[in-house]
Amino acid sequence: MAAREDLVAATSQGQVSSTAPLHRQDGARGPSAPPATPPRQRFFEIHAITTRRQSILLGIAGVLTWLGLWEIAHHLTPAAEQKFLPGAEQVIVKVAELLFSTNYLADIAKSLYRIYVSFAAACLVAVPLGLLMGSFAKVKALVNPTVGGWRYLPAASFVPLLLVYFGPTDMAKMALLFLGCVFFLIALILDDVLAVPKELVESAQTMGASRWHIVTRVIFPAAAPQILDSMRNMIAVSWTYLVIAEIVAATDGIGAVMMRAARFLHVDVIMAGILTIGILGVLTDIAFRQASHALFPYTHRRR
Amino acid sequence: MSIARAAAPADPAGREETGGAAVETPIRADRVTKHYLGGQRVALDDFSLDIRAGQVTALIGPSGCGKTTMLRLIAGLEFPTHGAVTMHDRPIAGPGPERGMVFQAYTSFPWLTVVENVEHGMAIQRVPRAERRERAEHFLRLVHLADYADSYPVELSGGMKQRVATARALAQVPEVLLLDVRFGALDALVTWEMEEMVIEIIETQPKTVVLVTHDIQEAIYLADRIIFFTRQPGRLKADLPMTFKNGRRFAKKDEMLSDPGYVDMEKRLYAMMREEIKGRIS
Repeated sequence: MAAREDLVAATSQGQVSSTAPLHRQDGARGPSAPPATPPRQRFFEIHAITTRRQSILLGIAGVLTWLGLWEIAHHLTPAAEQKFLPGAEQVIVKVAELLFSTNYLADIAKSLYRIYVSFAAACLVAVPLGLLMGSFAKVKALVNPTVGGWRYLPAASFVPLLLVYFGPTDMAKMALLFLGCVFFLIALILDDVLAVPKELVESAQTMGASRWHIVTRVIFPAAAPQILDSMRNMIAVSWTYLVIAEIVAATDGIGAVMMRAARFLHVDVIMAGILTIGILGVLTDIAFRQASHALFPYTHRRR
Repeated sequence: MSIARAAAPADPAGREETGGAAVETPIRADRVTKHYLGGQRVALDDFSLDIRAGQVTALIGPSGCGKTTMLRLIAGLEFPTHGAVTMHDRPIAGPGPERGMVFQAYTSFPWLTVVENVEHGMAIQRVPRAERRERAEHFLRLVHLADYADSYPVELSGGMKQRVATARALAQVPEVLLLDVRFGALDALVTWEMEEMVIEIIETQPKTVVLVTHDIQEAIYLADRIIFFTRQPGRLKADLPMTFKNGRRFAKKDEMLSDPGYVDMEKRLYAMMREEIKGRIS
């Protein structure tokens, strides 16, 4: 406010445009000031700027540290028991070996299929339901108490039930993966939809938009980037349920390979399975990020 | 150009009758009371108001005086507890495209480009696609944003976002334009620029405008008539036609500031604001 009064005062006296400017505006410039040396920044500075190169190097350093600790633990283990804690390089070699020598690729494909189909089904239920619950308070009042309760039921406890219903089929495993994430997904998407600023809805209303238009063309696109982010977080949870789903009466899939290996104490294969899941999880995460960039370019732009 | 060309069809004094016919009042609030929290808070108390066609009416008063509530009642986003708000003698039953609104919060849709934002309201009203683009570009030129048609709102400054919202509201060709833009949230120069742009727009697209502000200077500059609200509960304190403008509007704000009529008006309004503040502090 003060700044503005100054401006007004200055203008009424005709100073803003007519009096001599503080700096020369005619383009003539003297020699530039000596280069400034910014104060030396400490390596661990709060909110310090980290260059891309530094980030990559630090990331690699973190991985190497972890692998180093693993190797040390491996070598500290008595030789007779080293097969229970194989070295990192042995596990990595094992992954490669599995990929080339067995039909491990088919197992991976099977696991991926189960995850993606069950997750897609969960999204097909959760996105419309979350959107309706977030848009219509009465739908939320109807559905939320039930869904909220379901979240607290451990998905693994449905294994016996699903076996009775579906037998040792793909359906049983995908149903478990579905149950494991759908209720959390609904809750997350509900929050995403509720976070849409009410002014966006009101401005659409003052444009004469129908309820259908507002839900599908305003609320949904407004929440979509966050919804995709929620999906990205929930598919990680889906991966964590994979082994539980494939432990029971599975003949194929990464989890089944690991369970078979456990029977023969092939710890290297078990660890190779864990590593495979980790890598696939990271790749899924990257795919979601890429999708976000492609679908919502505006969320990554800045002034 | 010292003073903009003759403006509003209605006389800003608003009291006189033109050619024997009464001044048209598209929007009326008749003894409106608005309670919040089940009556614990009274935003408006027995408030009557008529908005005159072709005029810029500024609602002003200390914060919590119910001026925004009045604007939202006219928009149809809220409804009175007692009394009625009518448009052409029919009670306002909800929001509608004939009452375009620009909100204080940034309401451009982030997933659409600037030109798509402006087209959105027309899409709702099923304006043919080719015409939409043409009209959108026209209104973007009007708010000096033609060069930013394909930018996304995140790439714009606060003032530019408000201009997108203004162009969008204008593109739906509303009969009444409701502005809840406290330009004061922007920096001083941008505020000034926005205020002069509003005048330019109203001069080129004559409209009935209702705007809310808490800035006395802004209200005097933009309005043909100022409605002053008392602090909670909101009652009518004064209904002031800007007679010193002689039925015209200043294209440049600095030219108004040296007008003796402006100086008097500002004094009166500051005195009123002082009274309201006293009522609170003592």
